[in-house]
Amino acid sequence: MEVKVEGGDEFANASYEKICMNTFRDIGVRSSLDLVYMYCNPKEHVFIISVKIGRVASPIKVGDITHREGEKLRITNETYAPKLLALLWDKYGERVQQISRLEIEFKLEEKEVDELKEWVVYDPREDLVARILDGIDRIFPEGARVRSTIPSTGRLTIISSENPIVEEWKKKAEELVSAYV
Amino acid sequence: MYKIMMFEGGVYKFNELKELIEDIGGFILQESVMQTETMLHLAFPEEEERVIRDKIKDLGGKFKELPLAGAEIVIIVPSLGKHHAVDPVCDIAEFFRRKGAITNMLGLARGVGQRIAQMTAQEKKIIEEFDAAVFVFGCFKECIEEKVQLCAMLDVPYMVVGGPPDLAVEHYVGGIGRKTDRMRRKGEIDILDDMTAELRTIVDDRRREIEEDPLAASPLFVKDMIEMVIPSEAGDELPIIIQLDGLRINIKEEDVGMVKEVEVGKKKLSEICDLKKSLFKGYLLKIRTEAVTGSVY
Repeated sequence: MEVKVEGGDEFANASYEKICMNTFRDIGVRSSLDLVYMYCNPKEHVFIISVKIGRVASPIKVGDITHREGEKLRITNETYAPKLLALLWDKYGERVQQISRLEIEFKLEEKEVDELKEWVVYDPREDLVARILDGIDRIFPEGARVRSTIPSTGRLTIISSENPIVEEWKKKAEELVSAYV
Repeated sequence: MYKIMMFEGGVYKFNELKELIEDIGGFILQESVMQTETMLHLAFPEEEERVIRDKIKDLGGKFKELPLAGAEIVIIVPSLGKHHAVDPVCDIAEFFRRKGAITNMLGLARGVGQRIAQMTAQEKKIIEEFDAAVFVFGCFKECIEEKVQLCAMLDVPYMVVGGPPDLAVEHYVGGIGRKTDRMRRKGEIDILDDMTAELRTIVDDRRREIEEDPLAASPLFVKDMIEMVIPSEAGDELPIIIQLDGLRINIKEEDVGMVKEVEVGKKKLSEICDLKKSLFKGYLLKIRTEAVTGSVY
């Protein structure tokens, strides 16, 4: 992920570059973004963030996060364990039991077990935009609560300010963003 | 004037140190014994420092200066949202605590933004209850310059912490701004040191001001007298907090009368102090100057 911050003084640009990096890393979308562009104008209190969405990670399947041990499944990636258990209980009910922190016991037929491995536990595409928006909200200064979006495909651009956002800024934002993103 | 310092060492002959402090008219503000390790916050007359240092050397303990001890500080952020808390405000508070200050954190209700930032009358009153205030602002010069005007109406010494390295604001320390992780690198620790030094000048100025027109009794002495009448309950955390010109006492409403009757020298506490309910926590006890009350002895 490339980050470019412009408009503020040297210190502010460097700080916001770090804030963008850390925020998108914390919410786990850093690898799905190609470019983040931020423009700050503290004098007029206008801030613009535009992100270019890149390749999104492929869906996580049951087989990716578990490994079979006879009549048991051992969870190899605990991050998705709650989603995995919810999915299995929803489908098989009491035929699936969690016997320890990382072990799931099942009473299923062989055909069902083969099918199960292909099920999607979590698709990062599902909530990608919501997570990016959450990240953008965390990056913008807290006082900049008036928001305006510029619609486009593969790109997410938001203008924020504490004052009403005038047409002039929307046009300027489009110019700035199209030059970089 | 009392000097407050910290002693760290073993339990060997440690009672001798406590006795010595009592003999020279000092106080033990905080005591914590963890198996064989002990930690004491001591207050003693400045001129007796050599005696104490020699004793500690005999005992083989460590001696650390607490430049901010005896001051209650409030750290103010524009809001308690994720933009300002927990980084960097918790690092700043922790650093002040290591230097002996009692810290409190305050998030303003409408402190965010540039033009829209406000401080309510109640917030102003709460901030003025403390010995000094530290405002932690963000990265933009324009924003800080605008917000500093809010601080100017306060009747309490304050300092401002922000992002831009140099700004024409009194008692300003730059280089911090908005953070998303802990301040643990060498450069960041140096900035925190600068910030403590700046706060120390503010607190020392206030101390000098008080010394010019001395209080009727030292807050440390008043604290001792109150504790004789109302002992702190087990598990009570900081029931009495020392301020530069008084105390913050966390007592029940029914004990207020008892506190007023506490004898300090020849006078009662109500004769030498103003007691009022704090808007923040407990009761505030402001000690009047000796010029107003006359000598307590």
